[in-house]
Amino acid sequence: MIINYIKIAFRTLLKNKGYSFLNIFGLAIGITCASLIFLWVEDELSFNQSFPNQDQVYYVPTNQNYEGEWRTFYSTPGPLAQDMLNDIPGIVKASRSNLQECLFAVGDNSITRVGRYADADFLDIFSLKFIEGKRDDAFKNPEAIVLTREIAEQLFGKGEKALGKVIRVNDKDNHLVTGVIEDLPKNTTFKFDWVAPFERYQEGEDWMLEYGNNFSDTFVELAPESNFKTVDSQVRAIIGKKEENTSDYAFLHSIKDWHLRSKFEGGVIVGGRITYVRLFTIIAFIILLIACINFMNLSTARSEKRANEVGVRKAMGSGRGRLITQFISEALILSFIATLFSVILLAVLLPQFNLIIDKTLTLGLSNPVHVISIVGIALVCGLLAGIYPAFYLSSFKPVEVLKGLRVTEGSATLIRKGLVVGQFTISIVFIIVTILVYQQIQHAKNRELGYDKDQLLSMRIDEEFFPKFDVVQQDLIRSGAVENAALCNSQLLSGGNNGSGFTWKGGTDTEDVLISFRNISQGFFDTTGMEVIKGRGFSNNIEADSTYALVSESLARMMGDENPIGNVIARGEDTFEIIGVVKDYVYGDMYDASDPVLFMHFHGYSRYMYIKTKAGVPINEALSSIESVMKKHNPAYPFEYTFVDEAFDAKFRNEQLVGELSQIFAILAILISCLGLFGLAAYTAEKRRKEIGVRKVLGASVSGIVKLLSKDFLKLVAISILIAIPIAWYFMQDWLQDYAYRIEINVWVFIIAGVVAILIAMLTVSFQAIKAAIANPADSLKTE
Amino acid sequence: MNTKLLSLNEATRTVNSGSNKVALLDNINIQVYEGEFISLMGPSGSGKSTLLNCIGMLDNFTGGGYTFLGEPVHSMKEKNRSKLYKEYIGFVFQAYHLIDELTVWENIETPLLYKSIKSSERKALVADMLDRFNIVGKKDLFPQQLSGGQQQLVGIARALIGKPKLILADEPTGNLNSKQSTEIMELFSQLNKEGVTIIQATHSEKNASYGSRIVNLLDGKIVPE
Repeated sequence: MIINYIKIAFRTLLKNKGYSFLNIFGLAIGITCASLIFLWVEDELSFNQSFPNQDQVYYVPTNQNYEGEWRTFYSTPGPLAQDMLNDIPGIVKASRSNLQECLFAVGDNSITRVGRYADADFLDIFSLKFIEGKRDDAFKNPEAIVLTREIAEQLFGKGEKALGKVIRVNDKDNHLVTGVIEDLPKNTTFKFDWVAPFERYQEGEDWMLEYGNNFSDTFVELAPESNFKTVDSQVRAIIGKKEENTSDYAFLHSIKDWHLRSKFEGGVIVGGRITYVRLFTIIAFIILLIACINFMNLSTARSEKRANEVGVRKAMGSGRGRLITQFISEALILSFIATLFSVILLAVLLPQFNLIIDKTLTLGLSNPVHVISIVGIALVCGLLAGIYPAFYLSSFKPVEVLKGLRVTEGSATLIRKGLVVGQFTISIVFIIVTILVYQQIQHAKNRELGYDKDQLLSMRIDEEFFPKFDVVQQDLIRSGAVENAALCNSQLLSGGNNGSGFTWKGGTDTEDVLISFRNISQGFFDTTGMEVIKGRGFSNNIEADSTYALVSESLARMMGDENPIGNVIARGEDTFEIIGVVKDYVYGDMYDASDPVLFMHFHGYSRYMYIKTKAGVPINEALSSIESVMKKHNPAYPFEYTFVDEAFDAKFRNEQLVGELSQIFAILAILISCLGLFGLAAYTAEKRRKEIGVRKVLGASVSGIVKLLSKDFLKLVAISILIAIPIAWYFMQDWLQDYAYRIEINVWVFIIAGVVAILIAMLTVSFQAIKAAIANPADSLKTE
Repeated sequence: MNTKLLSLNEATRTVNSGSNKVALLDNINIQVYEGEFISLMGPSGSGKSTLLNCIGMLDNFTGGGYTFLGEPVHSMKEKNRSKLYKEYIGFVFQAYHLIDELTVWENIETPLLYKSIKSSERKALVADMLDRFNIVGKKDLFPQQLSGGQQQLVGIARALIGKPKLILADEPTGNLNSKQSTEIMELFSQLNKEGVTIIQATHSEKNASYGSRIVNLLDGKIVPE
C-alpha cells in the first residue's frame, strides 16, 4: 500500500513539474531559513553552558541609586568578595577580577592581549582546565601568570613547553608562567587570554581595599546544597553592613543568564538577548508556516485534477481514511525532498550567514540532535501542509466527481484567500520592520555626536608612556600626517569611570548625581573635535591645571547658573574650579542621553591615546608616519590601533543584526508568498480559460482580461496591507521604546511597504494573466 | 429460480432544486436475481445513472427499501455499506476512469489493495486477469498509451478483479467505436454466462439486446411493459 502511495506520489510530482517545483522550492527555502534561525538560537542558548559548576556560579552586580533611579553595574567594591566568603556560609568560593589589556613579550615576540587579574578561587569557579601546571599551585607565586593554550603557542611556539618560563609584561614586570589552560569555548560570554593574581593589580592601590569604590567584578560559587534565596538575601544585605550611608546593594546573577538575560531596568532583569532569541524562533515558525501554506493552497487549487482519482478510488472501495493517508504521505514525501534540498542549501549558505551574524555555526549533521530536528521539521511540515488538502480532497463524493460535475469549492476558496492574506500580511510586516530598523540605526548613527569620529584612531598605552607624551605629540604633529593627539583614561565611546558624591556651589542634593570622570591631556578637545562652548580648555602646564576642570553642558545646566565658569565642584577634599564647558557628547549607550562628564587635566590611569590624522593625507601614509614615531618612542610595543568610526559601527551590531535578518526574512517571506501566488494565478487562469476564450470572442481586450484576472489577487494584497499596518505599528512602537533616542514612525513607511507589496504581487500575477489573455480563444474553446 | 440478489421496494431519490423537491427516481420496484443481465434504457435524464449509482451504493436512495443479498441497505451504516459493495460490486464507467498515474497492472490491482489482500495473492490474481483479457503485454503501459477499447478492457478487468457478484456498467461503450463496442459487449455476455450479474445503462438497442431483460425508465419511473 505504502509503496503504491510512494509510486503515485512520485509520478504525480513528475507529471506536474512546474507545480512540484513551486512546492518543493518554496518549502525548501522555508526550511532552510528556519534551520538557519534554529542554528543561531541553538548557539545563543548554548552560551556559558560548558562550565561544570554552572548551576552554582554567579556574577555579583550592584544596584546603585542615582537621582532616584536604580542602575545596575557589574562593578563592586574590592573587599566584597572576601567579606562574602567570610560572612555568608552558602558561598564557598569568591573572586575579585578585573579586565585588563597587557603587552606580553618573550624575546622579540610581543602581543597585547585582554586578560583578568583575579583571586585563586577564580580558577576553581570556572573549572579552568590545566594542560600544563596544576590548578592548586598556579597562584601560589604572586608573580604567576596562567595563559590560554592559544596565547602560549603564540609566545613560545607550538609544542613548546610554557610552564616555568618568564614573560615580560607591559615592558616593566616579569611574570612566571605557572599554568597553561585550554582555550575557553567560543560560546562563552566573558573572554580572557590570561589570568594573573589580583595582588599584582592592587599593588600600591590601597583604595582598592576599601568600600566606597566600585571597580572590580566579583564572581562567587555557592555550595551545591545552599538555598539560592537565602544566600541572595544575605548578599543583598552585605554592603549595607560594611559601608555606612549607602543604599547600594549587591545581588546574584546566574552564569546561565549572563548571555541572554542581562538587561537591567530599575535594578531588575527585564530581558536582554532572550527577546531576540524568542522573536527569531517565532519568526522561524512563521516562515515555515508560510511555506506550508503554499503547499495547502496549491494542493487545493488543483483539486479538480485530483478529484477524478478520488472518485475512482472511492468507487473501487477506498475508505476516506485511506485517501487521507495517501494524500498526507504525498505531502510527507514532498516535504522530505524539500528538506534534502534545504540541507544542500544550508551547506551553501551557512558561510554567508556566519559572516552576517558573526558566528561560526556548522551544520553538524553528525550531531543526532540536528538530524532529529531536521527529520522533525520535515515531518511537521509534511503534516502541516498535507492535513488540510488531505481532508478536503478526500471529502469529494464519487458520484459528483465521476459525473464530471465541477467540484464545489466554497469553503476551500475562502480558506485559500485567507491563507494568501496571511502570507502577505507577514511579508508586509517584515518589509515595514526592515525599513524602520534601518531608519532607527541611521537615525542614531547620524545623531549629533559632539565629536568627530572620522580619521580618528585610538591606541592603547601604559603608564610608562605618560612622560613621553608631549614629545610624541610634537613628533606626530611634525610628521605632517597628524592633526593632533591626546590621552584619555577611557575610551571615547564607552561609559564607565564614574562616581557620585560631588557637591558644587548653588546645588542641593547633588551627591547622588552620577558623573563620569575623564582624565585627559591637553589637546583632547582638538583631537576629538569636541567643542568648548564656554571658557577655555586645558593649558600645556599640567601642574598649573591640577585644580581646574571642565564640565559637560548637561552638568553645567545642573549647576544652574547662567555662567558656571568659576564655580567650584568638590568631592571629599578634592576641589576643582570650572574653567570651561564642553558641548554634550554621546558615549556609552548610543541611543540615550549620556551622563554628565567632568574633565580633568591628569595623566594617571590614562589608557588610550587618540590621534587625529590630517585631512587629505592618505590613511596608509598617515599610519606609516605614526608607526615610525611610535616605534621610535615606544619600541617595546607592537603598533596596534583601532579606528573610532569602526568601533562606533560595532556599537550598532545588535540592531544591525536585527536589521539584516529582518531584511533577509522579508525577502524570503515575499519570495515564498509570491511562489504561492504565482501557482494560484496559474491555476485560476487555467480554470477560467473557457471564460477568457468566450470573453475574447465577445470582444474583450487583452488589458481588460489581465485586469479581470489580477483584480482578485490585488484585492487580497490590499486587505493584507490593512491588517499588516496596525500589527507592524504596534510591534515597532514597542521595539522603539527601548531606545531613548528614536525615530517617529512616519506614515510614509507604511505607504512604501504597501506599494512595494502591491507591485511585487502585480508582477507575479500579471505574468500568468497576460499569458492567459493573449492565448488564442479558438484553442481554449475547442477543448471543452 | 436463482437466488435473489437485490430488490428495490418503492425506492425514491429526490433532490432539492431551489425550493422544489425533484424526484430523480420515483417509486422504483425491481427484483434482480443472480445471473441476470439487465439493460436500463431511457433518454438522457431519465434516471439511469442515478439508479446505477444508488444500487452501487455510491449514492443513496432517499426513500423506500433496498435489500442486497437479504440485507437492508437503506438502514445500514456507511461503514457496513462500504464493506458490502467492496465485496460484491464492481463498476465500469463510460469514461473508463482509470487512474492516469498508475500502470495497467497497478490500476487493476487497486481494488485488491483496498480489500487488504496479500501481495503474493494480488500478483497471482492480477496476472490471471491480464492473461484472461490478453493484455499481458500492456501491463506496464499507462492509460494514455492505450486505445479507448483497451482502456475499457482494463476498466472491466479492474471491476472483475475483486470477484464481484454484480457489475454495474454506466454506458460502457459510450466512448467507443462500433467494433470496440461489439467486443466489449461480447465480453459482458461471456461474463454473464460465467455467472456474473450485470446491470448496464445504455442508449443503444443493439447493446441492450445482449441482456436478458430490458428495463425502460422515463422521468425517474419504470415504464410498465
